[in-house]
Amino acid sequence: MKFLHRAGPARAGLLGIAVAALVGASTTGSAKTLVYCSEGSPENFTPALNTTNTTFDAARPVFDKLTEFARGTTKVGPGLAESWEVGDDGRTLTFHLRKGVKFHSTKDFKPTRDFNADDVLFSFNRQWKPDNPYFKVSGGRFDYFNDMDMPKILDSIEKKDDYTIVMKLKEPNIPILANLAMDFASIHSAEYADFMLKKGTPEQFDQVPVGTGPFSFVAYQKDSVIRFKANKDYWGEKPLIDDLVFAITPDATARYTKLKTGECHFMIAPRPADLPEMQKDPALKVINQPGLNIAFWAFNTEKPPLGKKEVRQALSMAVDKSAILKDVYLGAGEAAKTLIPSTMWSYNDSIQDYPYDPEKAKAMLKAAGVATPFDIDLWYMPVQRPYNPNGKRIGEMMQADLAKVGVNAKLVTFEWGEYRKRMQDGEHITGETGWTGDNGDPDNFFYLLGCAAARKGGINLSKWCNKDFDALLNKAKTLSDQNARAKLYEEMQVIEHDEAPNFLIAHSIVYEAMRKEVVGFKQSPLGAHEFQGVDLQ
Amino acid sequence: MLKYLFKRLALTIPTFVALMFVTFVAIRLVPGDPVEVRVGEHGISPERLAYFRHELGLDQPVWKQFLDYAWKILHGDFGTSLRTSQKVLTEFFTLFPATIELSLCAMLLAIALGIPAGVTAAVKRGSWYDQILMSTSVVGYSMPIFWWGLLLQMLFAEGWHLTPTSGRIDPINYYFEPVTGFMTIDALLSDQPGAFLDALRHLILPAVVLGTFPLAVIARMTRSSMLEVLSEDYVRTARAKGLSPLRVVGLHALRNALIPVVTVIGLSVGSLLAGAVLTETIFSWPGVGHWLIESISQRDYPALQGGVMIVSTFVILVNFGVDLLYGVINPRIAHGR
Repeated sequence: MKFLHRAGPARAGLLGIAVAALVGASTTGSAKTLVYCSEGSPENFTPALNTTNTTFDAARPVFDKLTEFARGTTKVGPGLAESWEVGDDGRTLTFHLRKGVKFHSTKDFKPTRDFNADDVLFSFNRQWKPDNPYFKVSGGRFDYFNDMDMPKILDSIEKKDDYTIVMKLKEPNIPILANLAMDFASIHSAEYADFMLKKGTPEQFDQVPVGTGPFSFVAYQKDSVIRFKANKDYWGEKPLIDDLVFAITPDATARYTKLKTGECHFMIAPRPADLPEMQKDPALKVINQPGLNIAFWAFNTEKPPLGKKEVRQALSMAVDKSAILKDVYLGAGEAAKTLIPSTMWSYNDSIQDYPYDPEKAKAMLKAAGVATPFDIDLWYMPVQRPYNPNGKRIGEMMQADLAKVGVNAKLVTFEWGEYRKRMQDGEHITGETGWTGDNGDPDNFFYLLGCAAARKGGINLSKWCNKDFDALLNKAKTLSDQNARAKLYEEMQVIEHDEAPNFLIAHSIVYEAMRKEVVGFKQSPLGAHEFQGVDLQ
Repeated sequence: MLKYLFKRLALTIPTFVALMFVTFVAIRLVPGDPVEVRVGEHGISPERLAYFRHELGLDQPVWKQFLDYAWKILHGDFGTSLRTSQKVLTEFFTLFPATIELSLCAMLLAIALGIPAGVTAAVKRGSWYDQILMSTSVVGYSMPIFWWGLLLQMLFAEGWHLTPTSGRIDPINYYFEPVTGFMTIDALLSDQPGAFLDALRHLILPAVVLGTFPLAVIARMTRSSMLEVLSEDYVRTARAKGLSPLRVVGLHALRNALIPVVTVIGLSVGSLLAGAVLTETIFSWPGVGHWLIESISQRDYPALQGGVMIVSTFVILVNFGVDLLYGVINPRIAHGR
């Protein structure tokens, strides 16, 4: 049992209560504490085991990665790796690790050494090598490591010396540098892992996190609170607050009320309906930016008549996008004209979106030899996603618009797992879907339209395979010059627009609400909530 | 009496088995797979899907899964949560004290106010007090918890700043590790000045919201039961003997009128726990209600099965206790068994 203040005699406590009752309030410290009203409990504190932002946010204060996204951007910079070189073959990455970086301590564990290459090896081998003793611990689901194709990309990871790591790739892949800045690539302490293994409680390794990050873990009470304290030995930008508290508040209305009453300083995910009032409140500050996501309506190009690009273009002109943005997104959406949002590098702003023009759509269908009325299936999403607040409503609005050009769309849906699987198998004619970016690299969006992903079971849901587009996609992965890569992605967006494999709906706008006294918060395009560099005034 | 006890306990066994079966089957009827439900837009390869389904035993026939599960339960093993990889029992009993603390306070509030209110209404039958009480209790009876909770939150927390909005204690000023899981008790044990009062302040609104429904039910039941008893011969006899009205009502009438009230209180425990799910959501109260809902949405079979079974066993035991209480209130019932 641990108290901030050591237990004294019970009578003293009762007296204290009486005094507190008389004065009406009591405080126990003057430390600068920031309370963040989060939306849920983390599954555990090992990001590699999870896929939700709730868990990533809860573990992020504790950990660092080899590379890091500069706060508030998707720009990849040094992290625990001070620098790196890409070999001439494009397949060898050599990382030079930072020296003198300390791991946090817990009640039971005191690190005896600084961070080194063994910790990097452990952090990746745990997710990769079945013979690692932690491979199966805590369920052993390393979804992100697999989703980002790391087993296919990596050939080997070796320690050259204590502060040098050599990563060999099966083929050149520059976006891997962004993968390494993702939460699943957080660096854990190999020494702590050994300690827990010897103690016979390896699963506790994932419950009481030890990292090198700006805050160290103090305590967690499920569905209630997570506490962190500033890591005064932090190698990077020092935290400006003393304590960071996550007050777990699942209900958005309760979060907003707590923000208003000052019970929390920052809240996640305000309700769109509350935003106008929030923005008027002088005690609060609301910021926003388009999220790294996209909602779209995929045309299965393997199903006639959607194999013809003129038909796809016609359907793109048949739906009133602005009405969807107004009625479903309630203004919290940016019209999408390319797969990536405007905040991402390589965004091609010169592209002109298809106008809403039912008459032209009808004419184009006729010109393409499609007799109207014709029937299609329109699959709508059965769940709410960050990029799609109401799949059914969007489906109904599209259905009504399509009827005006002589297209009878039948609304269809399934349970979410089933829905996704069937779409990946190409059973749909058209269907709503979307994407949330993982690492801010354009490749992470455009590979959705690559030929490799167009196979049955692949995540290219329009099953569209364009050789020119695909060649550019593969070439862009091998270049280390970002400007050169950006040019290729811009070119790909022109092809994508012309071919219209999808009707691009929207990038949802992500809002963050906080009290006026919170300064220095930078909104992350990746949806991360980071409190290093944040202060209370 | 002992024979009765054993008989009643034996009767709970088939209930328990039926419960285990229904929970096991019901969650499997809900579309969605525990492995796939966590997968986002990336999807999952058929190989990985098969691997994890095998690891979790989901590739076995359902009857075999059920037998395995029942065998483990017999050995006290409720399994491991698929979401957190923590033991279901550990997770449950970390959260359950919060639900018990809230439900207990709500019930105490309902009893402390409901019984005297019902008695007074019965004694003053037809008076303005009776009329007001009965109409108020209808309102309390039909008040949706969500609306009532938000209303009180808006008025007392946001509007008048008399109570905190939600949670169990102010996280900025108080921090102590849980000992019993009951925040009020832990606050007292912590010796931190003001912690206990702060915990109480956090408890007020959720307890009032959760206690409103049983309060209305108890008040109405007490009134009607008292009315019946007050017209009994023995009450008239007691009055004729010249006993004080307080003694007649408090001792002779109330004790006999309490049997149906106690039954209602016992039955309310189930609805109280159901109401706790909503109350916990509104007030960010970290109890088992929210945890169970999350278990459903994440298809966390072991957590849901284990949670429902323990909660249901708890309700069965409370009702069992209520049955025993009848004998204490009215010894004739105990002898009659």
